[in-house]
Amino acid sequence: MSLDLHTSGLRAEGLSLGYAERPVISELSLDLPRGEMTAILGPNGCGKSTLLRAMARLLEPAAGRVTLDGQDIHRRDTRALAREMAILPQAPIAPEGITVADLVKRGRTPWRGLFTPWRAEDASACAEALAAVQMTAFAERPLGELSGGQRQRAWIALVLAQAAPLLLLDEPTTYLDLVHQIDVLALLRRRNREAGITVISVLHDLNLAARFSDRLVLLGRDGLVATGAPWEVLTADNLQTAFGLAARVDPDPVTGTPMIIPL
Amino acid sequence: MRGALTLCLLLLAATLAALMLGQVRLSPALLWQGLSTGEGPGALVLATIRGPRVLTALGAGAVLGLSGALFQTLFRNPLAAPDIMGFTAGAGLTIIAAIALGLALPMPLLAAGGGLVAALLVVLLSHRRGHATPPLTMILVGLGIGFLASALSSFLLTLLPHTQATEAQRWLTGSLAARDWGHVAQVCGIGAVLAALALAQLRRLAALELGEDLAAGLGLRVGRARLALAGTAVLLAAAGVAVAGPVPFIALMAGPLGARITGAGRLPGRMLAAAGTGALVLVVADLAARAALPGIQLPAGVMTGLLGAPYLLWRLSREMEKGEL
Repeated sequence: MSLDLHTSGLRAEGLSLGYAERPVISELSLDLPRGEMTAILGPNGCGKSTLLRAMARLLEPAAGRVTLDGQDIHRRDTRALAREMAILPQAPIAPEGITVADLVKRGRTPWRGLFTPWRAEDASACAEALAAVQMTAFAERPLGELSGGQRQRAWIALVLAQAAPLLLLDEPTTYLDLVHQIDVLALLRRRNREAGITVISVLHDLNLAARFSDRLVLLGRDGLVATGAPWEVLTADNLQTAFGLAARVDPDPVTGTPMIIPL
Repeated sequence: MRGALTLCLLLLAATLAALMLGQVRLSPALLWQGLSTGEGPGALVLATIRGPRVLTALGAGAVLGLSGALFQTLFRNPLAAPDIMGFTAGAGLTIIAAIALGLALPMPLLAAGGGLVAALLVVLLSHRRGHATPPLTMILVGLGIGFLASALSSFLLTLLPHTQATEAQRWLTGSLAARDWGHVAQVCGIGAVLAALALAQLRRLAALELGEDLAAGLGLRVGRARLALAGTAVLLAAAGVAVAGPVPFIALMAGPLGARITGAGRLPGRMLAAAGTGALVLVVADLAARAALPGIQLPAGVMTGLLGAPYLLWRLSREMEKGEL
């Protein structure tokens, strides 16, 4: 059976998450086609991260399912799946004294069996990942000695070394200053455009999300508010529904993407 | 690299000193004669008394050190160690119980059983449905299990006839007196198999070290991987207890001390350093225990206790400063 366009990519079908008595997300359906850069947005506590974790098979759904190219991700071999999708959690833990190179190497875990030695393709994947985040010069530096922005680039290099065509990131720009937020999003956009990687991330900043995304998923306290292109999603009505925010939406004078002006 | 060399030299020096010093002092010449030709007074001391004793200490120290470093990495907490969490006490209890009940089962089997039961109890008692257990909770529950096991061991000692009780008490402190080549073969054989098992799981440990979510994203079955690693570490500790008794603090100290000596940053290096340092500390402690007071042979565990208790206090104060406790 050939894959039609409709089943290609990551998809949530009637997804309910959390406990039965206190659902975080209920009955959500979502289609995230391959090749797009998607941002998941919404107020604190609306279940953005929960949704992302479920899409990355880190959370078992209470009901419904998540499929990748039509197959339930919870029924797939987790290691085979790790070669197809990589996830960077919100607060990954850095072992004390670890160097950037050692960290990035661990991204190769799903490609290496018990007795597989370190191969040339592993080395080149790591070198490429480091180059993509412009951290080659910092490879031998301990992670703890780097700035917040550099550290985040090193973590992104780890998931890039995993060489999965689909990348999920939970708040990759939180704790970064504006310059580094733009830096990280531009880097992800480049990987999306140049290497065709599908990028799905949870973001906080609506204007940056609009600027760097093909598709937005806007969640409110009562579930999905809207999904689609930035101009379709970021309307005054939707912002009122999701955030309870009175705002005007104008074209960004530089990029023409929607720009939120709170009233 | 230089750090690894330092550790090797320290190990060599400690081993030689442990072979030469004691109630009968061997000169370097006699030691060399004994080692190379197998004759003379040196050979007798080496073959029957100190050789097996020192080699058992090396083996037991190495497995305890490796076990501690595995737990510390797995729990991401420097206080996680089989001697703090009650696994060595559990292993000790089953052995004392077998002696009291007159059961003639192999010591390593008994120790492994006791260690695994203690670990199971820690997991069950600290488990809360639907919540991940914080490492510190497990460590504290383990501390309690350890006290319970030690108390039961002490109770069983009172049931033993006097001569047997003294011997058992000594063993419970952690002692290397009167070891023979059987002990050497046992701890080295079992230790080698378990160490190979542990090393084969290092890539999983490297992923787990980055947090459970990232490890799962890298394709690990997190629960299963943690269980296999923890099980291997418990068995390693039990292999040490079976030949040297529940010597305190070796497993706790070896990892951080080894990293300090060797400067090893990467995971395999840190594990090897921990094993080497565990061996070093136990050999030195045993030497100090039998050479410190003329005419009195203290159990090695007394020395590691004297060394380890201040280390534990220092560790605790550091953790409190960091706000982890």
